[in-house]
Amino acid sequence: MTGQVCQIFSFKDIKATPDPLYELPGQCLTPSPAPIVIDNGSFQTRAGWATSAAELHTPRLLFRSVAARSRGAARSETQIGNDIPNLEPLRWLLKSQFDRNVVVNFEIQELMFDYVFTHLGVTSEGCVDHSIVVTEAPCNPLHCRQMMSELLFECYRVPHVSYGVDGLYSFYHNNNQRNLQLPQTGIVLSSGYHCSHILPVINGRFDAVNCKRVNVAGSQAATYLQRLLQLKYPGHLAAITLSRMEELLHDHSYSAVDYHGELEKWRCPEFYEREVHRMQLPFSGKVPGGCVSVEERQERRTQQLRRLQEINSRRREEKLQQDQERLDRLMAVQELLEDGLLDQFHKSLVELNMDSAEELQSYINKLQIAVDQSRQKLLNAVSRYCCAGNDLMGNLNPAFNMAEYHQLFVGTERLRCPEILFQPSLIGEDQMGLMETLQYVLARYTPEQQEALVSNVFLTGGNMQYPGMKERVERELLAMRPFQSHFKVTMATQPALDAWFGARDWALEHPAAGEAEGWISRQDYEEKGGEYLSEHCSSNAFVPLKVAKPAPARPAEPSATSQTSAGAPADIAMVTSASAYVSTNATMVTT
Amino acid sequence: MASQLPITVKSPPPAASVAAFRPKKRPGSPAASGGQQAAGGSTGSGIKKRKGPLVATPSTQIQATANETTAEVKAVGSADGGPVSSESTAKPPPFKDHTFMHSGIGGAAAGKKNRTWKNLKQILALERTLPWKQNDANYYNIDSPPSLKPAKKYSDISGLPANYTDPQTKLRFASSEEFSYIRLLPTDVVTGYLTLRKATCVVP
Repeated sequence: MTGQVCQIFSFKDIKATPDPLYELPGQCLTPSPAPIVIDNGSFQTRAGWATSAAELHTPRLLFRSVAARSRGAARSETQIGNDIPNLEPLRWLLKSQFDRNVVVNFEIQELMFDYVFTHLGVTSEGCVDHSIVVTEAPCNPLHCRQMMSELLFECYRVPHVSYGVDGLYSFYHNNNQRNLQLPQTGIVLSSGYHCSHILPVINGRFDAVNCKRVNVAGSQAATYLQRLLQLKYPGHLAAITLSRMEELLHDHSYSAVDYHGELEKWRCPEFYEREVHRMQLPFSGKVPGGCVSVEERQERRTQQLRRLQEINSRRREEKLQQDQERLDRLMAVQELLEDGLLDQFHKSLVELNMDSAEELQSYINKLQIAVDQSRQKLLNAVSRYCCAGNDLMGNLNPAFNMAEYHQLFVGTERLRCPEILFQPSLIGEDQMGLMETLQYVLARYTPEQQEALVSNVFLTGGNMQYPGMKERVERELLAMRPFQSHFKVTMATQPALDAWFGARDWALEHPAAGEAEGWISRQDYEEKGGEYLSEHCSSNAFVPLKVAKPAPARPAEPSATSQTSAGAPADIAMVTSASAYVSTNATMVTT
Repeated sequence: MASQLPITVKSPPPAASVAAFRPKKRPGSPAASGGQQAAGGSTGSGIKKRKGPLVATPSTQIQATANETTAEVKAVGSADGGPVSSESTAKPPPFKDHTFMHSGIGGAAAGKKNRTWKNLKQILALERTLPWKQNDANYYNIDSPPSLKPAKKYSDISGLPANYTDPQTKLRFASSEEFSYIRLLPTDVVTGYLTLRKATCVVP
């Protein structure tokens, strides 16, 4: 066998370094406070300044959106993001403010904002003097936006807030970079950590009615990979952690252009040997004897056999004993006959239920044979048992390679996990995959609109970074579009970071002032309520429904009040400030 | 800025005292006695550690006989305001309003109910009750519909296209070696593979 290259890798297990506490840069305060741009992602939070200064053009802070909160005495020592060097020991304490891709836990969101503002160097008293640009989920529930606005306006007292969708900001940024003509039209395929979205943009505005979401993305791929490997290697359960799975997905996985064709390649053993990635685990000193379940079962089987044999031999011994006693009695009776004590002999015959001496004799003969045979059997069984036991012992210790025992062979898993985005049936989800959903969305438009949309298909999001994604999307698009029609697929230049850059570009081109488009001012918040959204080219669509805010001192259920028209908030006497609601809700709750 | 009254068994002294002191430290501990010696320092009152521009006026207040106060001294809030909303930092950041309380969650004052945040399902249930129109987009409207194409079958072990299913375990396999491997698997691994593609049967 010629020397084959086998690819052995080890896990990097990168440790996070804590973020420094930056000083507030001078140009972020004068001439006017610079906006802070926060890309609030369920995997990672990216935060930084929106200024034209050269050294501040990238996000200052990039950290995982997790907080490690323990209960009881250690509650005050919460660690956030990069304060945690290794996530695995604290895996059970990790909490995120997200449920899927929507913020639901605003206490933890508050902790995240505290972290961001503290590390960016904000020291102003009583308020954060900078406008904030925050990303939200497409079609974010009104309740969540209300809570977010409340947090920003009332706790941090920011002057202006703007909400946008991360995929759309990324689209905006890349279109600007490619100098495409405004207004932009295209369809954005954005795949993040919890969900993937299809976002059509028509003439610079997000067409929310026709967008769709598939609930399969990075975290589902990571848990799928983890379970696959844990089932394949039950002895290494603890070593197969989510952080390592994420490393495998980032560095060792790829997306197949033709899934079935690629699988056929993997059938071939030489291809497998070349392409399988062997992940070397650190040596742990575990011997497979106790852990490998097949051998465990063999051991159990031998033990059961032994037990059965013991029971059998004991039974045989007892029977032997009984037979022996009976034989002795019969022999004694026979002796009576020989000694000439005929009366006693006949009496005992009657007791034994026998009629004559010949019967007694035949009985004795039979018993004798039986006793001899069982004695023989006992001896044989003992010796055979000893031999059998030795044989089984021999089988339990096959030769094995210690290094190979500590290797995880990642073969077809490299392409199965990214594939769940296109075929959610792999994990049992009955939703349409990404490309099927794209086809569904396109079918809702006229052919001219479809042509326009398909000429600018844009891929963005962290989960789109597998090698081969763009080619895969192109191939499937070719299959679903009419013969010889034209389309163009572009991947974002930096799929994970472009949302932040897009938000920053938007903030620089649309400075916050008074009634500027896209910004929500403090006054807007107080008049129109927390769920108000000022639309812009990268934002959600705003549907003006009033959501009653629960009073802070009383956990009343928010109920729908009335639908207002977008243009006349002043007509409605509903003031959503907390104090007014306490009085109105008091009457509502007590009934 | 209101000054805080530390909670002690003795009659409350009029002014707050500042000490770099860990909360919940027992008055009888060595740190307490060490603090007594510091000029102007006070002992026995657990006040949250604080640095930065918000130090309250340090009035000298020596709690005499701190050893006698066996009462649990609660960590009172900083001199800035009422109950601090975030429990995380010992020193509250300056840029926040400290009297802020989230309205989405009842505080401790609201009673035992509703102390947790609503999760996504509850929020969506509430959203459904609002008067949406037919073609409004909201979070649950934009969920992708179930697939129209039949699902392709792949082997549970190797991921290759699978033509065969084991009737005993219901796992899919692509070759005879996989089949013998399947037949040797313990039941928990078999259930694991089935749960992975949500094929476990509820009825035993």
